[in-house]
Amino acid sequence: MSGEKMEIMILMKDQIPKLYNELSGEYNFFAPVKEKGYIAYRKISNPEEIELNYFNSKIPPKEILFPQMEVLFEFETDGKNVTEIKDRKDLDEKNILFGIRPCDAHSFDLLEKFFVFGDFQDEIFLKKRKNSLIIGIGCNSPKSTCFCTSLEGHPFQKDDTDVFLVDLGEKYLVEGVSDKGNNLLQQLSWLSKASKADIKKAQELAKKAEDLITTKLDLTNTSEILDSNFANEIWKEVSENCLGCGSCTFLCPTCTCFDVLDENAQYENRGRRIRIWDTCQFCLYTLHTSGHNPRDSNIERCRNRILHKFSYYPLNYDLIGCVGCGRCIQVCPVNNDLRTIINKINSIKINEEENVSA
Amino acid sequence: MPNLYIPMLTTVKNVVSENKVNDIKTLELEFKKEDDYNKFNYIPGQFAEISLIGKGECPIGIASSPTEEGSIQFTIKKMGTVTSEFHNCNIGDVVGVRGPFGNGWPIEEMKGKDIVVIGGGFAFSTLRSLVIYLLNEKHRKDYKKITVIYGNRDPGEVLYRNVLEEWKKHDDIDVVLTIDREEEGWKEKVGFVAPIVKEVGPSSNNAVAVVCGPPIMIKTTITVLEELNFNDEQILNSLEMRMKCGIGKCGRCNIGNKFVCIDGPVFSLAELKKLPTEY
Repeated sequence: MSGEKMEIMILMKDQIPKLYNELSGEYNFFAPVKEKGYIAYRKISNPEEIELNYFNSKIPPKEILFPQMEVLFEFETDGKNVTEIKDRKDLDEKNILFGIRPCDAHSFDLLEKFFVFGDFQDEIFLKKRKNSLIIGIGCNSPKSTCFCTSLEGHPFQKDDTDVFLVDLGEKYLVEGVSDKGNNLLQQLSWLSKASKADIKKAQELAKKAEDLITTKLDLTNTSEILDSNFANEIWKEVSENCLGCGSCTFLCPTCTCFDVLDENAQYENRGRRIRIWDTCQFCLYTLHTSGHNPRDSNIERCRNRILHKFSYYPLNYDLIGCVGCGRCIQVCPVNNDLRTIINKINSIKINEEENVSA
Repeated sequence: MPNLYIPMLTTVKNVVSENKVNDIKTLELEFKKEDDYNKFNYIPGQFAEISLIGKGECPIGIASSPTEEGSIQFTIKKMGTVTSEFHNCNIGDVVGVRGPFGNGWPIEEMKGKDIVVIGGGFAFSTLRSLVIYLLNEKHRKDYKKITVIYGNRDPGEVLYRNVLEEWKKHDDIDVVLTIDREEEGWKEKVGFVAPIVKEVGPSSNNAVAVVCGPPIMIKTTITVLEELNFNDEQILNSLEMRMKCGIGKCGRCNIGNKFVCIDGPVFSLAELKKLPTEY
């Protein structure tokens, strides 16, 4: 991506306030903070808020660019009819997304492909994406629920970031990945150069992290198997204990579904049209006004979630709609595990082949 | 690209009650800005997201034909929150419009063919658009025989009565109206749509059948059309689905990897047979 290979630099952890102070004038600075016992990505106003010792956020950082509730436009009325519509004016603001894990950084790529797809582009998302600079960070200690390496990812994958950090203890190794990232690093002339030992340590950490990911899913044929198994009995089994709470989708970094609502400040003659996250796991999601519902049980709804990510995404965008972050596994109240589901799907083919050879 | 969630503004020019029970109304809308009107280039079978801003938005098929210049029309059945609000609309009220969306009837591929238009109940709005378009003097010569078969529960439910009377006066279109059960004063056919289609027996030779209506009507009519040797490519449907954005982003109108809002709402039976039966 970058023409000139930039040098690899070092950012001391105690220099983070300096980094923040230098950039927060030009950028909205989003970083991981502690909130209600979890990690969340928030726009910070004080570098002391940044939490540096974390695994990952509960809600993925997609919420920075595609928040749970977002204004589409605001309007004024004369008490009955609309008199003025006001477009969003904040979309050109520049953002820094600090401390994004590689899986989530990859989700931004998927989200962008989705919002740009077709004849209609979602400018609200795309403008924000264009104006955002992602400072990613490698995962030194992935959890047992992580499986990014099954999705062509890696705990130290920097492809989808602009600047990439590696936590070396007291300091970060800093590498410019994109032109945007390299330009930013040039601005930070006070960064020191990394030593060969620093770079070597980062490589060792990468190897160690990769070894910690024990889940290996074979997704080579999954999409193809799904194509021909819409009516398979497996969907009954997969959905049997699902409560339909939708947590897996609300916490998924690649889920994009939303509902649209109008809100009124009734006595002030103004209001706004908003979008809020919605989920294919809810019965209302597809319920027609007539009462007809094309996906009226958990079976269809669970199937849709899996097919959307592992069949429709590959068909439409030539990508798998999952980044292997494991949030859906961690959050499921009945311990439904996406990895188990994928393995069950993969076994369909094997069983069929056994039948053929028998 | 601009913010596609912002509607263009129109004002209600006319409101027509379409049926006896008064739960179906047609709104005629005029764009506030001429520029918006000029940009709203549509073909029959497309839809728009229309809204009473502050009350909500919903997808509705465009009932007018692009040949009816100056305004656009939507026929709305009072069903839920937003459609009920539309029923309280008066002349002069402001309505937001986003669109046109969807693929519409394939008017280009339909050229040089017999067109059989089959409608049931209030799902006739985009068929109204289509037939008015086909009958327009600029377009009529591009199409061969036109047959319209339109069924309703009872005479009070027949939409667009003036337009239907007008069509009947034309000698280049066959209009067959039917109601489910016999009723006093009704001089047209009596019976469900499917058997009436069988009775009329349109030729499948170089023909396209366009079918809109409740699911059971579509199902039975397709069986009859197949008996009349219409193949899957010759049978077209327009699907309805819950949707919010109209532009393939809100997610819910998918059938398999297709979205009804951008890949439809018009699908041939051949296309539908390739999709999961989740509609």
